[in-house]
Amino acid sequence: MKTPELSRRQRALANCAPINEERIRDRSMRAAVFRARSSSEFENQQSFDRALATLVRAIPIPSETAEWFSDEDLISPSKWTWKRMARNPAVLAIGLALIVIAGVLVFQFVGRLNDFPGSTTARKLLTIAGSTRSLLLDPVSTDAGTLSDLFFLKHGLEHYDVPEEFADFRTIGCRVFEDDESQRIAQIWVEEKRMQFFLFPAERNTKTGAALKFPGWRYVHQEGWVGAVTERNGVCFMAALRGREKDLASYIAKPKE
Amino acid sequence: MLGDSVKAQEVFHRTLREAALRAAHGELPNEPFWLFRDARWRCLEATKTDLQAEPLEMGEQEITAAAGSQVERLEPRQLAIWISAAPEPQRTALALFYLDEFDYREIADLAELKLSELSGLLALGRRQFQAWLDATLPKRPAI
Repeated sequence: MKTPELSRRQRALANCAPINEERIRDRSMRAAVFRARSSSEFENQQSFDRALATLVRAIPIPSETAEWFSDEDLISPSKWTWKRMARNPAVLAIGLALIVIAGVLVFQFVGRLNDFPGSTTARKLLTIAGSTRSLLLDPVSTDAGTLSDLFFLKHGLEHYDVPEEFADFRTIGCRVFEDDESQRIAQIWVEEKRMQFFLFPAERNTKTGAALKFPGWRYVHQEGWVGAVTERNGVCFMAALRGREKDLASYIAKPKE
Repeated sequence: MLGDSVKAQEVFHRTLREAALRAAHGELPNEPFWLFRDARWRCLEATKTDLQAEPLEMGEQEITAAAGSQVERLEPRQLAIWISAAPEPQRTALALFYLDEFDYREIADLAELKLSELSGLLALGRRQFQAWLDATLPKRPAI
């Protein structure tokens, strides 16, 4: 029988291979025995060890000594404890993986709790807000509320109205562009806290085509930016700035729903 | 370990008595194999004053397929005496290994050996025992 090539450690382990294979408790020993098993040398060693162990079991034990053992095992198996199990690298790795998965799921669930029709587009627009430079916009210095006429007359955009809460802010510039879904988006930059406004079509029911409405103002967050979004007449308005919800809350007259 | 049942019994009782005393005082160590460690040291202590076998070069033979049948022809006492005559720590390694109750890490721990040392001692013990078997019980001719 061909002798398999064993590493030095595997050879050492094979020399210490337990007589009873059920006693193998670690992976390295199992691997060494598995590799060595195909050699006649190891086979001889195992039958030799088995024969000697049988002989050892036949060594007479004086009755006074034997009664101490009764029917109990000579060595009780090591106790199973939570602490011991927690130290097992495999259990530790699985535990950590489960914690990470649970964390991601909770994070996603919490994120979904704040979702509303149009929140996906709103988040994309917050990313755009973060990367927009004022040079990209057409310079316009007026009250934000008056730009609805410009959007309607120049771009044919109906109901692209800035809500009254933000209508009085002075603008720096504006533009109309199409996003990756060919939706026409109006972007306005105002002087107040370098805030940006976005007007975009509300999400629609895929079957009926009706705009999906939601009441009041909703917040979205993305890359350090926060947006307050509301829907009116099938068009969503979002006021966005770099900061936190409370920075926007003061501008919104009605309480957040 | 001792090759003498009377001595072995003495050591066994002394070990248990000591363990009972420690248990009564609530001084049992947390270490799982302390009782076996204690018993081993008592065995070594008990043989310290014995007549020691002269160190002699023992022959070695590779284990053969017929070894199993040769061992079957042995008396348990012969094996006990052979193991008890082995030098330390080989004696401990062989005694614990063929007791078939401990795994290799536990034996290495009890005998204070590294894996490579334990492996070497077991392999050497097998070869020496095979040589002794060949000398004591010549193989039966194949029919």
